[in-house]
Amino acid sequence: MNETLTQLEAADFINRSFKRLPRAYGDALVEAAKVDPRIVALCADLVPPTETDLFRDELPERFHNVGIAEANMIGMAGGMARCGEIPFCHSFCAFITKRVFDQITMQAAYPNLPVKIVGFLPGVTTLLGVTHQAIEDVAIMRSVPNMAIFEPSGPEYHATMVKLALDWNGPVYLRMKRPETTPADFTPQKLEIGKGVLRREGSDITIISAGLCVGESMTAADTLAKEGIETRVVDMASIKPIDQTLILESAARTGAIVTAENHNIIGGLGSAVAEVLVEEGIGLPFKRVGVMDQFCEGGTTSYLMKKFGLDATAIVLAVRQVLEKKE
Amino acid sequence: MNVKHNLQELTNIATRLRLHVVDMVAPSGQGYVQQGLGAADIFTTLYFAEATMDTANPSWPDRDRIFLTTAHNTAIFYATLAERGFFDVEDLATYVTDGSSLEINSSERMGSFVEATCGSLGQGLSVAVGCALAAKRQGRASRFYVILGDGEMQEGQVWEAAMYAGAQRLDNLCVIVDYNFVQSEGPMNLVMSLEPVMHKMESFGFACQEVDGNDIESLLSAYDLARETKGKPSFIKANTLMGKGVASLEGLMFHQLRFPPEVAASARAELEAQL
Repeated sequence: MNETLTQLEAADFINRSFKRLPRAYGDALVEAAKVDPRIVALCADLVPPTETDLFRDELPERFHNVGIAEANMIGMAGGMARCGEIPFCHSFCAFITKRVFDQITMQAAYPNLPVKIVGFLPGVTTLLGVTHQAIEDVAIMRSVPNMAIFEPSGPEYHATMVKLALDWNGPVYLRMKRPETTPADFTPQKLEIGKGVLRREGSDITIISAGLCVGESMTAADTLAKEGIETRVVDMASIKPIDQTLILESAARTGAIVTAENHNIIGGLGSAVAEVLVEEGIGLPFKRVGVMDQFCEGGTTSYLMKKFGLDATAIVLAVRQVLEKKE
Repeated sequence: MNVKHNLQELTNIATRLRLHVVDMVAPSGQGYVQQGLGAADIFTTLYFAEATMDTANPSWPDRDRIFLTTAHNTAIFYATLAERGFFDVEDLATYVTDGSSLEINSSERMGSFVEATCGSLGQGLSVAVGCALAAKRQGRASRFYVILGDGEMQEGQVWEAAMYAGAQRLDNLCVIVDYNFVQSEGPMNLVMSLEPVMHKMESFGFACQEVDGNDIESLLSAYDLARETKGKPSFIKANTLMGKGVASLEGLMFHQLRFPPEVAASARAELEAQL
C-alpha cells in the first residue's frame, strides 16, 4: 500500500510536471502590440493553448478572455475593428472557423475589417479527436471574399505570421500549430503575402505544400533523391492569395506536381493549385496528398499523419504515381 | 432493465468508477482526472439507478438517453459505460492510445450509447431537445438527461436550446449541470460568471433544483422530483467538488491536470481504502 500524499505535496508534483512550450507567436504578438496600440487580443477560454498568456499578463487592459463563446468573440471583434482597433481572435482552428463562419463573413469579411482570426490545432493534429480537428477550415475560409490565409510550416515562421497578418489590410486567418519542441537551428526565408517559398530545387517534380506537410515533403524529397528523382519543394505559406507565378513556373520547369496538405483533399491547397493550373490551360500529371475526404479520429500526430496518408511515405508514393504518368 | 441499487451499493460503484478513472489516466497523464472524480456520483446515479436502458440493445428506441455534452470528461464516462455492461472493462486500458475508440473526446463511433458527438461545446442540449420533442410526438415514455458543463453554459446555443425547451414545456427533459466551477482558464467567476444561474434557468421556464452533486441520495431525490414535474423541463444544479474522493486532489483548481505517477499512486491508495 502506498503512502498517500497531502494536497500540498500533490499540487507540488503536479506543478512540476507542467512542460513549458515555446511561444514564438504569442511573444511576437505582444511585441507588436507594444508598438501598435490598436492591437487587442481576444480568446475563447484557451489562453495558454493559443499562446496568449503573455498578452494577458502584460497588456491586461487590451485582453479579453470572452469565455467559451466564440460567436460573440467574432462579433465583438468586428465592433472593435469598426472603432479603429486591430483585434486578434484566438481559439482552436475548428471552432474559430466552422463554428463562427457566418459571423466571420458578415462582421469581419464583408465590411473588410482587420479582424485577425488565429486558430491552433490545424488539420488532424490532435488527440482531441473529430470535434477538435479542422480538415475543412481552409476550404471554407478560402471561399470568403477579402480573406487572406497564412499557414507557417514550422515554429521558425510563427513570429512572421503576426507581421503578415498586420500587412494584410483586412481579415486574415492564421492556421497555427503549437510547437512541441524548440525550433531546430534553421534560418527562415522571407515570407511575403502572395509568395511561396522555394525550400528545395529540383527538376523532375514539384511538391507544393503547406504547414506540417512541408517538413514531410522535405523528408520525401530526400528519399526520392536516393532514387535519382530531383524534387522541387515549395512552401505555400500564403495559401490565399496564392503564388500563381511560382505555381506556373514550377509546372513549366518540372512538368509534374504533387500537393500535400494537412487538410481534406477537397477545397484546400491542392484545389487552389489545381485551379491556377487549369485556368491557365495547363494539363500535367498531378496528385493531391491530404485527408481522403473522410472524418478522422484522435491520436498522436505521427500516428495520424501515417494513418491518414499525410506523411513522407504517402508523399513519396504519390510522387512515384505521378511520375509514371509523366513519361 | 432499470437496476435499482441500495445506497451502499451505489457508493461502492462510485468508488469503483473513481478507481477506473485513476487507472485510465495514470499511464499517459492524458485525461480529466479531477472532473471524472467530481462527476462520479452523477454518473453512478444516472446510469445505475435512474435511467432505463438495455445494454444488450443499446439503440432500443424507448431507452432513456443520457447526453454527455462535456464530452471531454471521458474517463468517468467510459468507466461508467463499461461497468454498466456496454463494453468490456478490459477495454478501458486502451484509453487515449492510438487506434482506440476510447478517445479523450467521446465520439459516437463507439456505439449508440454515445448519444451524440458533443466535444464541440454547446451543441448537445439542442440535440437532446430534438430527441425529447420527437419522443413526445411518437408517444414514447423515454426521458432525456443532459450532463452539461458549467463553463459550457457560456455558449449561446445552450440558451437558444433552453429557451425552446422551456417554451415547449418539455417535461421529459432533465438538464444536470456539473457545477464544478472551473473552466479552462480558471474559476468561472474570474472568466465570466453564470450567476444567478438558477434565476436565469427559472426565467427560461425550467423547474430548478440545487443539490450537492456528490451526494447520491440528494441526486436521486432530485431526479424523482424532476420526473414528477409536469409541464416544465427540469434543471438540476449539481454542485460538485473536483477531485472528490481523493483528498489530495479535492478542490485543486486545474482544468488540464497533469497526473504524475506519485499522485496517481496516492489517489489509488486513498480510493482502495474506501472500498
